[in-house]
Amino acid sequence: MSNNLWQYRHLIKRLAISDFKVRYKNSVLGFFWSLLEPLLMLLVLYVVFVDVFPSTQKNYHLFLLLGIALWDFFTKGTSMGLQAIISKPGMVRQVYIPREILIFSSSLTALMMAVLEIGVFGIFMVISGVMPTSTAIYFPIIFMIIFILVFGTSLALGALNTYYRDVQYIWAVILQAGFFASGVFFDFSTYESDIKGLLLLNPMARIILISRESLLYNTAVSSWDLVFCFASSLVMLLVGYLIFMKLEPGFAEEV
Amino acid sequence: MDIIEARNVWKNYKIPHEKRNTLFESLYGLMDSKMGYESFTALKDINFTVKKGEWLGVIGHNGSGKSTLLKVIANTIRPSKGKITVNGKITSFLELGIGFQPDLTAKENIKIYGAIMGLSDTEIENRIDGILEFGGLTRFKDTKIKNFSSGMIVRLAFSTAVQIEPEVLLLDEVLAVGDLDFQKKCFEVFDRYREMDKTVVYVSHDLSTVQRFCDKVLLLNHGEQIGIGNPEEMISLYQSIA
Repeated sequence: MSNNLWQYRHLIKRLAISDFKVRYKNSVLGFFWSLLEPLLMLLVLYVVFVDVFPSTQKNYHLFLLLGIALWDFFTKGTSMGLQAIISKPGMVRQVYIPREILIFSSSLTALMMAVLEIGVFGIFMVISGVMPTSTAIYFPIIFMIIFILVFGTSLALGALNTYYRDVQYIWAVILQAGFFASGVFFDFSTYESDIKGLLLLNPMARIILISRESLLYNTAVSSWDLVFCFASSLVMLLVGYLIFMKLEPGFAEEV
Repeated sequence: MDIIEARNVWKNYKIPHEKRNTLFESLYGLMDSKMGYESFTALKDINFTVKKGEWLGVIGHNGSGKSTLLKVIANTIRPSKGKITVNGKITSFLELGIGFQPDLTAKENIKIYGAIMGLSDTEIENRIDGILEFGGLTRFKDTKIKNFSSGMIVRLAFSTAVQIEPEVLLLDEVLAVGDLDFQKKCFEVFDRYREMDKTVVYVSHDLSTVQRFCDKVLLLNHGEQIGIGNPEEMISLYQSIA
């Protein structure tokens, strides 16, 4: 697969950029519109958890925004991957390209969007007077792990959704549940429960947790956490790849 | 050297009695065994080779498997049995198009197609004007494809496909929607390809162009290979089974 991806790098670049442009409607305003959603989410959650249920978290707005941005990367990435095959019927039926390219370029588009959101998060950090410390060097690694996770999940979802169109509705519900289970608005390190261990099997929960440690709380990320996240993203990539390759031969007939 | 080689190629389609497109329907279908499917054989044991520089014409009635054969050669669908090997970069022109995306402009689509064919950004940039001019679409270069008429899309697809220097070209009914002027341009391209030794598989109902350009012709009927041989013989055989 990596061979194909390299051979078609021009196409991948071209597709990722054109999707990115379509997303932002070729305008600067489009870019601000896309940030409106996470920022509104920030506002709502901030009001709820500062005013209604006061949170004692230091710099809670940054804590929230980082969680929202990373969760958004996963949500947007997998939702775009889900549509990547069926939204380009011409490129499946009328020409032959290795179809994993469509999924990969959709994950790349999500990556570009996530980089922008993290950029906005960075601006908020600076405004709030919080400077990243040396533990921030873990963050790019964590970011790449999310990318692998998004790509692997998208391989599975994009292929399944081509055959069964209700996978997109099922996935939307799973994402809703994931938003509450991944600690976007609460802190797993202070949360005590019998099912905490179970919830932390969700790689996104652990990813958001260690991202905050590295970027906001000057805490070195434990190697166990890093290995767990990396390994689970690789497992997802393998599972996604196997599902994708099993279903790929019939795409042109099902799309 | 054989550019295309087809050996014992079969293609079966499953036609469900009720099309299942969702997980829910599939689960329901498992419980309800009445909802079976019928099998339809679109290609039965097809064998042929195409050498470098050769033009293979494919003729037959509607539903004889011509387009299915092209799709199998293009690798967009896979044969149920048998094998097709192609040595060379294929440009396919199937279902009157080359995979354009409706939400992008003509120019952006050309760039994507160039990237599919492995061209670099500058190589594509150099050809865009020529492609648009050939299709008579220079004025519409920044128009989204979804606002194009079907004739414009075919013209754009064909001019993109031929200006990007294919090694192997698969053509399915290119001339069907073009006007006389465009057909004339097509013939000029065909003549040039003959001189340049390009390999072409040409599907058409227009027997006179098949006769004019093809070196050999494959005659299909209900998915079966009736014969392969010189154009005159195959065309008269086709007319006799009509």
